[in-house]
Amino acid sequence: MTEGLTRVKFTNLDKILYPELKITKAQIVEYYIKLAPKILSLLTDRPAVLNRFPDGVDKLGFYEKDAPLGTPSWVKVFKRYSETAERELAYILCNDLDTLVWLANLAALEIHVTLSQAESFESPDLVLIDIDPEPPAGFDDAIDAALLLKEKLDALSLHSYVKTSGMKGLHVVIPVSEGYAFRQTREFAHHIGQQLAKESEIIVSEFSKSRDPGTVFIDYLQNAHGRTMICPYSLRANPKATVSAPLDWRDAEKGLKPEDFTLFTVTKSEKNPWKKLLDDKQQLEVR
Amino acid sequence: MKVSKERMPRIPKRPIWTGSLTIGLVNVPVKLHAMTFDKGVSFRFLHKTDGQPLKYQRVCIREDKVVPWEETVKGYEVTKDQFIIFTKEELRAARPESDQRIRIDKFVDYLSVDPVFFERSYVLTPDGNSEPYALLMSTLQRLGKAGVGRITLRTKEYPVLVYAYKDALIVTTLRYAYEVADPSGLEELKQLPEPKKEELDLAIRIITDLSGEFRIEEYKDNYKEKIEQLMEKKLKGEIIVAEKPVKEEAKELMVALQETLKQLKQK
Repeated sequence: MTEGLTRVKFTNLDKILYPELKITKAQIVEYYIKLAPKILSLLTDRPAVLNRFPDGVDKLGFYEKDAPLGTPSWVKVFKRYSETAERELAYILCNDLDTLVWLANLAALEIHVTLSQAESFESPDLVLIDIDPEPPAGFDDAIDAALLLKEKLDALSLHSYVKTSGMKGLHVVIPVSEGYAFRQTREFAHHIGQQLAKESEIIVSEFSKSRDPGTVFIDYLQNAHGRTMICPYSLRANPKATVSAPLDWRDAEKGLKPEDFTLFTVTKSEKNPWKKLLDDKQQLEVR
Repeated sequence: MKVSKERMPRIPKRPIWTGSLTIGLVNVPVKLHAMTFDKGVSFRFLHKTDGQPLKYQRVCIREDKVVPWEETVKGYEVTKDQFIIFTKEELRAARPESDQRIRIDKFVDYLSVDPVFFERSYVLTPDGNSEPYALLMSTLQRLGKAGVGRITLRTKEYPVLVYAYKDALIVTTLRYAYEVADPSGLEELKQLPEPKKEELDLAIRIITDLSGEFRIEEYKDNYKEKIEQLMEKKLKGEIIVAEKPVKEEAKELMVALQETLKQLKQK
């Protein structure tokens, strides 16, 4: 009865990949299966970069841009010359449930995606503003900065979407219509960061200040060709099995913690705050 | 106690052979080191009842008695149960003398030698003066050529290939022509059909799509890894539980899959 549901051949399902919580690969595969209806639209046609942990999160993982040897023929790939790798890479396009399940079985705990789609690789359809607190600044400070940022974007009549990074910060994303260059979205994000930095004691907008203790860096630098963002609902490779969890802006308030969103809790939520993201393409005012 | 883990083998300092590479009148003094190692899992036989290791003995078939080394000779089986006897002295006298040379007869394109002939590889290092070594290595690198010649290692003379690999000179011993079978005599291969053009085009496309760099690191011995994991558990005194068959394990996943597929269809 089970045949025919998936083309994936499962391996080592018993293997524990999060030792502290004793989470097995079977649980990870199950997580991605359950979240597939929310994740797939965000993964579709977006070159994926995997962060794989075949021996668990306490052991060294590795980033993988190139479809690994043994990639089944039904997995779609996007071939492109990479300047950093100095060769043509076949990026995986996770366009269907089987591919997602296959990635989970590869122990690709973290799935990162580009901010543009394969067909228009040079032209972003998402602007990412990464809010990154530097201790002693914490998650509450990141929330404060995100709310300030939202006010700014609201004033420009721009809808924005927020998620936890799953590590210590927050990601704010603005979907944009076709035709922008990364240079433009990057300048836009940088400009917004500079304005926020003027209004707040702890917000910084320049990379050189990003490691100053107690600051919150408004990171615009991911808005570049080939750069990636952790996919919404992707697991993170940390001991607590946190998730990069999309939030309703109304729920983004102080007291929230990245550890509130884990493999165990996220599956229980019916909410899908980013559901409209890709139908909400907007114009930016850029120079 | 720890189970020894996968790591790159190291080239032993001690050479197994010292001599020179000779090309006509030119001599390149070299040392030869082992560089390939069999890393499979190996077991010893034990006595099941007391766990003690077993030893092998030579037992005479007729007398059913253990024969000491001094009473042994080597025999070549001419036909079944008929032997020609060689004494150790006779064999020693017939041994090819190792003249401590790797004689290079000619140079060929490195890629023109078929891998079916490769046997075992050794790395050469300069013995004393490294200039001739460096010169030969750089030249072979630049031309993509390999020297073909002979070496005598212990009791056997081998044909060899000498070439550059990762800035080192490598000697790979080769099999003799009579040690490798010729597949063209096989009946099944004599009447292969001619592929149709469109099939060929399709196959070419598939192979081109799957083409990539050769990366040996991507392969590993799964059996060996599994045995090593079991060993680690055993060393810790854990009880080994036989793994569940995949199907049963995956049952819950199939339930989840069914549910998700249903949801995706509704979209």
